[in-house]
Amino acid sequence: MSVTEEHQSQLSDKLRHNLEKGLHDVQARWTVPTAFLNDPEVHDVERERVFGRSWVYLAHESEIAKPGDYVVRYIAEDQFIVTRGEDGNVRAHLNSCRHRGMQICRAEMGNTSHFRCPYHGWTYNNGGKLVGVPAGKEGYDNKLEKADWNLRSIPQLDTYKGMIFGCLDPHAESLSDYLGDFKFYLDIVMDRSDAGMEVVGAPQRWIVDANWKLGSDNFVGDAYHTMMTHRSMVELGMAPPDPMFALYGEHVHTEHGHGIGIIGPPPGIPLPEFMGMPDNIIDEMKARLKPEQVEIFRPNNFIHGNVFPNLSIGNFMISKDHVSAPTAFLTLRLWHPLGPGKMEVYSFFLVEKDAPDWFKEEGYKTYLHTFGISGAFEQDDAENWRSITRVLAGQFARKGDLNYQMGRGALTPDPDWPGPGVAYPMDYAEANQRNFLEYWMELMLEDRPVSDKPSEAHRSPNGAQGNGKVEALAGTKETVEA
Amino acid sequence: MTIEAQTPQTQVVDTAVREITEWLFAEAALLDAGKYREWLDLMAQDLHYVVPLRVTREREAETDIIEGMTLMDDDWDTMEMRVLRLETEYAWAEDPPSRSRHFVTNVRVVGGDKDDEFKVASNLLLYRTRGDVPTYDILSGERHDVLRRVDDGFHMVQRVVVLDQTTIMTHNFALIM
Repeated sequence: MSVTEEHQSQLSDKLRHNLEKGLHDVQARWTVPTAFLNDPEVHDVERERVFGRSWVYLAHESEIAKPGDYVVRYIAEDQFIVTRGEDGNVRAHLNSCRHRGMQICRAEMGNTSHFRCPYHGWTYNNGGKLVGVPAGKEGYDNKLEKADWNLRSIPQLDTYKGMIFGCLDPHAESLSDYLGDFKFYLDIVMDRSDAGMEVVGAPQRWIVDANWKLGSDNFVGDAYHTMMTHRSMVELGMAPPDPMFALYGEHVHTEHGHGIGIIGPPPGIPLPEFMGMPDNIIDEMKARLKPEQVEIFRPNNFIHGNVFPNLSIGNFMISKDHVSAPTAFLTLRLWHPLGPGKMEVYSFFLVEKDAPDWFKEEGYKTYLHTFGISGAFEQDDAENWRSITRVLAGQFARKGDLNYQMGRGALTPDPDWPGPGVAYPMDYAEANQRNFLEYWMELMLEDRPVSDKPSEAHRSPNGAQGNGKVEALAGTKETVEA
Repeated sequence: MTIEAQTPQTQVVDTAVREITEWLFAEAALLDAGKYREWLDLMAQDLHYVVPLRVTREREAETDIIEGMTLMDDDWDTMEMRVLRLETEYAWAEDPPSRSRHFVTNVRVVGGDKDDEFKVASNLLLYRTRGDVPTYDILSGERHDVLRRVDDGFHMVQRVVVLDQTTIMTHNFALIM
């Protein structure tokens, strides 16, 4: 057996059968097996075949603005130090000493020029290079080749509009190709201003005993749940009172499972254009975005979406309470998988760096009181997702199907939509969710070998799309040797 | 935000300590009974209720509390919104309700910045179960309150709940701490 074959996970006959059935059903019947939402084997395979191959969001460049700044983030169980070097380049090193595997950084965030391992004192600079080994002469006779024992770099790292993504598969396509047509929609949210976005403070982190896919499934296309899950907010006047509000929206998905929903106010409801964003941001946005992007954004109140696999976007114009006027805010969130029935949510609040203080303050308050761990909307989402996960643990429950038939036989793609992807002319639809799960099932079934060897195509990450350069090269030497 | 240590030299008189301790116990009883409207009546109109966001930092770092972002940051209006929400028939996160117990210990009272105010620190252990699942959530933290004396007792002006976790081990903050 070759090295590459050793790295390939095997599917049980039962799971393979379920995935093949699921792929057939999602296209032919618009259903998906329940078995994928709380099953230990699904989770094991998923870590390798989904999280081991996809571009996974790690951090935002504004979180590590200065040289030496770092945050510690994850792709499934793998822990990476995402840091900006003295040269300004962004890197991600596995947070594990090359000597005996100790965590070299046990803080979540900070600023440092070097990382010294607490176990035996091996010291690395924040470029990942091993620069100091205690007792190098006495213990190693000066023969330890330090250059061979740098921190392992993430196989691929790249940024898009300030968002830093990592990928464990050195053969995976570039981030730009992976995002593909979805970049058109990401730009509408992330690229409105010249100075770019900033993460305020740090993400809220908390545990929900629910499968991570339920978060992605909700954000990728589910406007439908608003009127029941968030009925309490409808009653307080904080969610749309019109049960048909999502008819005034668009439901769009692209390749690789990405999807977005974009909803405006019903005709005759006087809400400000561009979510009431500050004038200076609207001016910059009009100059930065394409005319068709500007027109898509102009009537919006709600944008929800998901970058496959687990990065969700919420750009909502809501009120912070029952007596205040609505303000727009932007949240990114990670549904970080911790097990078949457990996830950790990382909920980030972002705002345009050059927005006026009133907008930053109102946006922060509105985000906090609606989404996040204490948000009046998201509290109820978490309750639903954990209850679904619990009830689908049963062996009988796992033999059922989930219904994704909204719009079946009635909904046809929108011929007039000015953006890329497959678009439907209202946001009461589940095509995005089917597209998300279809791509997930394709990845799960793909018996592609996984290798540590980097491919030539990916040795030069395209940093030009971000605000800074990225470097995933420090580990090339050791991965070649592996 | 700075949290001042309280030394025995600044302890206020016994009667106020007893009154305030009883007030905290009565407050906890309202919260554990789900009587949020009655609880809101104990809040001052200028209420500021904050749950800071903490991160793991080295000991040498100035603070492990994040500036600019929190887990909760409420005033009286937003708190009323939470109570109004729970009074609807559609607040799924707490309907059916959690079973909670606020264990309030280590109460420390000192004089406040104004004559009619007290600074009150207490330790909180919040125990929470939901449904028939055989698991429980525990939140541990220290509360830093400012209580103002009013005609019929005290109103809470400020509460800062510093939890002993960075990654929070409960699925939402549908309960008031």
